[in-house]
Formats: sequence, structure tokens, C-alpha cells
Amino acid sequence: MHSPAAAVAWQFRQRHRWGLIALIGYLFVLAMIKLVILERGQRIDLDDESFAFLVVVPLTATFLYLLSVFSFGLSGDLAARQSMYPARMFTLPVTAAALAGWPMLYGTAAIAILWLATRLFALWPSDVEVPVIWPALLAASLLAWTQALTWMPYPLRGLRVIITVLWLAMIDAVVMVALNFKAPETVMLAILAPHVPLAYFTARFAVGRARCGEVPDWRGRFARVGRTADALPRPRDHFPSPARAQLWFEWRQYGRSLPWLVAILLPFELALLFVFSHTPELIFEVLLFVVFTPPFMAAFVAATVSKSNAGSDSYGVTPFIATRPLTNASLIAAKLKATIWSTLAAWLLVLIAIPLALRLSGTSPMVIEWKLQIIQAVGTPRAVAIVLLGLSALMASTWKQLVQSLYIGMSGREWLVKASVFVVLSFIAIIVPLAHWVVGNRVVMAALWNNFALIAAVLVCFKLSAAVWIAMRLHDSRLLSDRTLVIGAVCWDVAVFALYGLLAWIFPALLFQHYLLALVAILAIPLARLSAAPLALAWNRHR
Amino acid sequence: MASEWVIIVSELTRRFGATTALASVSLSVPRGGVYGLVGANGAGKTTLIKHILGLLRAESGSVRVFGHDPVVDPVGVLSRIGYLSEERDLPGWMRVDELIRYSRAFYPAWDDDYAEELRRAFALDPAAKIKNLSKGQKARMGLLIALAYRPELLVLDEPSTGLDPIVRRDILGAVIRTIADEGRTVLFSSHLLEEVEQVADHVTMIHQGKIVLSAPLQAIKESHRVDGRVLSLDEIFVARVGKA
Repeated sequence: MHSPAAAVAWQFRQRHRWGLIALIGYLFVLAMIKLVILERGQRIDLDDESFAFLVVVPLTATFLYLLSVFSFGLSGDLAARQSMYPARMFTLPVTAAALAGWPMLYGTAAIAILWLATRLFALWPSDVEVPVIWPALLAASLLAWTQALTWMPYPLRGLRVIITVLWLAMIDAVVMVALNFKAPETVMLAILAPHVPLAYFTARFAVGRARCGEVPDWRGRFARVGRTADALPRPRDHFPSPARAQLWFEWRQYGRSLPWLVAILLPFELALLFVFSHTPELIFEVLLFVVFTPPFMAAFVAATVSKSNAGSDSYGVTPFIATRPLTNASLIAAKLKATIWSTLAAWLLVLIAIPLALRLSGTSPMVIEWKLQIIQAVGTPRAVAIVLLGLSALMASTWKQLVQSLYIGMSGREWLVKASVFVVLSFIAIIVPLAHWVVGNRVVMAALWNNFALIAAVLVCFKLSAAVWIAMRLHDSRLLSDRTLVIGAVCWDVAVFALYGLLAWIFPALLFQHYLLALVAILAIPLARLSAAPLALAWNRHR
Repeated sequence: MASEWVIIVSELTRRFGATTALASVSLSVPRGGVYGLVGANGAGKTTLIKHILGLLRAESGSVRVFGHDPVVDPVGVLSRIGYLSEERDLPGWMRVDELIRYSRAFYPAWDDDYAEELRRAFALDPAAKIKNLSKGQKARMGLLIALAYRPELLVLDEPSTGLDPIVRRDILGAVIRTIADEGRTVLFSSHLLEEVEQVADHVTMIHQGKIVLSAPLQAIKESHRVDGRVLSLDEIFVARVGKA
């Protein structure tokens, strides 16, 4: 390594080598499909969904990954006032121009190469004319501006996120307008060309300021608000038990994230009811979108919930938490309770906001009409049961999203967390096109339907075997008392029987065999992964 | 009747990959007094303390604190230990009063008056956020929550590292206050030997995962004289480690 430029490049390559290897592997697979299979003259019919999952989703994920890597966004607090440029690099004997310039050059080059490789190797629908340069320039501009704006120090906490999102959205909007007017490639290049140099000068200025420790501060202007907040009575009563104190800790640390995210999104989603108030089909879609918001957002919040060391790059549990005189089961129980409160708070917002928005937008008669149609079709008791079951399923799904990866995150092993992400992404990449193929193939569908009971039975066996093994480990390691294990098993049985009873009542035996419903009920109620969380925490806490 | 030994470590060995962090370490910490654990950076002091707290599981050998295995019974052991970590990993989002309120829930013996006395002595603003405290204030905050329930065993892991003399004085003062209470024990790990020398009754020197010397401080000093002059702990350590 003979130059600062080589050192900066080595740092990116060394730290993110596995991500880069995975990216090269993905591009290699695409290239093989295109160059080997298509060159032999075999035609592949690629519909929109397959194209989306084979190309668009991995490409978008890769773009976001490169954005995080080259802006140093994977380490540091995105909402902080201070620059996200690594402070350790400020002491290197190089100019601010080099500090800003080399990561920007590598980043924009990497993202441009990514586009060119995708254009060359991806399976594009035959009726689409794929542009050559401007998408690469757009991606490079977005990356360069992300770098400049994340390295800039800000006067207020959270301002970075707002400014970056608005600025990138504006660039995107300009491009969309140009595309709408069918602008030729030269015009697109003229629009995008100034962005990278402008972003570079902004980044150089940002790094220069950050290097001198200059962080503007507007907090004083909001001091009155702060003083008011301080004057608000803070609870001073004592926690009745350690478990309650830990529940408070978990709630304060991440419990409010999901309700906040839902509260931010709801107004925008429900505003669509006002826009489409005369289109019943879209009203239904908007409502569907709204009720799926909590489980969808919960999947993102789960990453922080399941992390054993929130607010840090480290994966292990902190000594502060590890030395709490609480059992591993109590620590996990506090997390589970906090996620239940989080789920209930998010759903309370949804259940208050939907009727309010329906009434104000004048769309409630449509919903009342649907309600009457359902009652007419299945009768009032079943209609109520179906709605309650649907609502409970959505709430349970929200909670399940929050807690189902606890057993991975609580293990505190970096390799396990990263491997699980890789496995999930690979699973999605394989299962979605596979499912799409299955749905389109009547023979396979029939075979699956005929063997549904067998498949469900195998899955049930697998789930129960895992649960038994986990229960034995919990018992042997004395993480849970015999009484707790028995109570847990009884509660799970009751939940399964209740769900089975409800399903059997809603769906007549003519439609589904009742043993099938029993298998579905067993698979639906969480057991194995949830029970593994205390084991994972013990593995992490007592290494 | 309470056992004579607070900590008993027998033949404890721990490896991290190819590195042996602790090699057949055995030590017994008696009830009452200050037990100094000294050694260079990377000698194995923190690894040993983590075993005592149950944060590391003994690969071979055994660890007993108050007669219990800290991995099997973390509640029984940790509720009797006050611990000041060298990592200062207090949750930054909490305010000082919130951290006190949260911590007191775990310890039935928490003394509100003593906690308030320490908070005032350490000049900690109850409304201040932990993340906005200086390094020294964070150390004081950690010390407050480790002391306020008058634990039977106070474990201080490199408490003075990177701190100014005033905070170091506070920490040493806390150690002295703790031993003033009869029957309480302090395990004090440090590489600043002059500090240990000021307060320790018994010193264990650890080097490359092995105990090279363990004896009462007075006995160590008596047995290390050169031309009638009593050597300092620094000099004794250098002499011992040089031999090891």
C-alpha cells in the first residue's frame, strides 16, 4: 500500500469483502444465464413479477448496500448532528479534498459498474429499450449526494435524515418528470451531469468542517421547548419489581419505534382515501395497504428489537445488561412484553385512524356496503368471527414479526446474524420465482394440493421436534423452571385449540377437512423459535 | 454463618482461539478487605473478572462466588455484587435520575439516602442525559449505581483508566468507604500499581494468563527488599514479570 488512495480502497475492500463477493456471485449467475443459456438459443419468457424478483429487487438491495458502504452509513448514528465521516480518518495526513474525493470516486465508479454489469447481464424484457449511460449517472449522483449529505454536520438532530430524503427525492422527481416527457438520453445526461461535481464540492466542504470539529448548534433556539419538557413531571415512583423496571427499559429503548413509524405513515396512506373517494376498488386497496402497515413496519423494527446490543456495532450483550441480576428468561420476557405493548399501541393508532378517515373522507358508506355483503353471504356471527380472526391474525403477525428473529439476534454472534440475513435473502430469491412458477403450473398445483396434508404434517413434526429439543435444553440448563415450561406448554395448547375451534366453526368440513385445520393451527401459533430466545441469550450472556 | 471465602476460582483455564487468556488460574478471595488484581494490559484481568461475574463460562476449572456458580445462578450472585465496568457502557438515552430509578429496582437493599448523598458528592445533575456526561462523570455515575445498595462484593475493573486525578480520588474514596463497612469485600483490577498499593490488603499479579504472585501486600513488600530498601509494587511487578 503506497498511497492514501490505495489505503482507502483497501479499507472498503477488506471490510466489505463478503458483500462484494456475494455481489460478484450474483452478477456471475446472471452472466451465466444470459451468456450460456440464451446463447444456445433457449428462450426464457420473463414476466413482470419474475423480472422484479430476479433483477429489480436484488439490484435495489445492492444499490442501497453500496450507498451505505460508501457513505460510511453502516456505522454511526444517522440522526446525530455530527458528521458520519469516520473521525479516525480526520487525523490522516491528507487533504479534505482527498478524504472526500477518494470514497466518492470509488463509490460512484462501483455504482456505475453495477449498472453497466446489470444492463449487460440481466434478463431484460424484450420490449424494453434499456438506456446505457444516464441510469449509471443517476445512481452515481444519488450516491455522491448521499455521501455529501451524510458527511455534513447539522445544527439539529434528525435534520440529516430529512434533508437527505427530500434532496434525493427531488433529484428522483426531476428525472421522473423528464422521463414522462420522453426526454432523450442527451437531455438526461445534461440534467444529471452537474450533480457529481456539485456533490463533491459539498462533500469537501462538509469533511473540512467536520475535521475542524465544527458542528453548528441550533439547540439553544429550542431551549424553551426543552425547558418545558424538563418541567414536565417525570415519574419518580419506584418500580414494583425488577421485571417491571426491565420492561420500562425495553419499552423506552425501542418499544415506541413501531407506533411512531405507523403514526408517521398513516396520515399519508389515509390521505389517499380523500383522493380516491369515488373509486371503490382503490378504497379497498388503500385500506388493505393501511392494515398491512404495522406488520410490514414491524419487520424493520425487529432488527433493533432482536439486537442484543442496541445502539452499538457490537453484537454481544453489553456488560451493563449482562450484569443485571435477572434471569435470562426474565430478560427475554421483558422484551416480549414490550413488543406486545408496541404492537397494541401501533394497532390502537390504526383502529382509531381508519374510522376517522373513512368518516371524514365520506367513504364510510362503501365500507358499510361491503360489511352488509359479507353478512348476507355468511351470516352475522361468522362475519364478525372472520373480521375478528383477520384482525387478530394481523395483530399476531405484527408481534410475530417483532419477535421471530429474537433467537438469532440474542445469540450475539455476528456470523449467525449475517448468515441468517443471507439465508433469508437467498430463500426469498429462490422461493418467490418458484412460487410464481408453481402458481402458473396446474399439474404442480394439483400435486401440492393433493399432498397438502402430508406437507403440513411433515412441517408440524419438524416444528414439534424442534420445540421438544429446545424444551429439553431449557430444562437441562435450568433456564426455565419445570412449572414455567408446563404453563408455557398449556398456554400454547390452549391457543392452538382455540384457533382450531374458530377455524372449524368458520370453515365447514365440506370445504376443509378438520385435521387440516388442526395442522394449520399448530403451524400458526409460534413455539420453537420463540422458546429458543432464552437459550440464545444464555449462549450470548455466558460465553 | 457466612463462608470465609467470597470468591473461589479453581484451575480456571480459558482460551480464545489459539490464545490462552487464563491458564489454570486458582485464587481465593477472603471476606472483607481489598483484593488487588494487577497486571499489564492483556494479562487476563478482565477475563478473570468476567468469569467471576458469569459473563464467561469456565471452559475447565470452576468459579464460585458466595458459594454459587455465577453462570447457573446469575440472580443470586449478581444481586450481591456491585460492578464498575471499564467499558462505561451505561445506556446513553437515560437521564441520571432515570438510571437511578431503574437500577434501584434490582436491589432490595438500595439506600436512597446514600444514593442521593453520592449524587450530590459527585455533582451529577439528575436531569442530565448519560450520553452528555463527560468520561469522568460517567465513571462517577457507574460508581454511584455500584455502591448505592452497599453490595457485599464490589468489583472494579480498571476503574481509573483514562480518568483525571479527581475522579480517581473519588474511586479510591469509594473503595475506602466500602471497606469501612465491616465484612464487605473489594476486588480491584488495575494496571496502575501505585493506586492498588494505596488501598489493597492482598495483591495478585497476573501475567500472560498465569498468576505469578499472590500474597498479602505487606508480606510481598517484606519479602522484596534490596539493600534494606522496600521496593515499590511497580518495581516488584517488573522484577516478577521479567522472571516469568
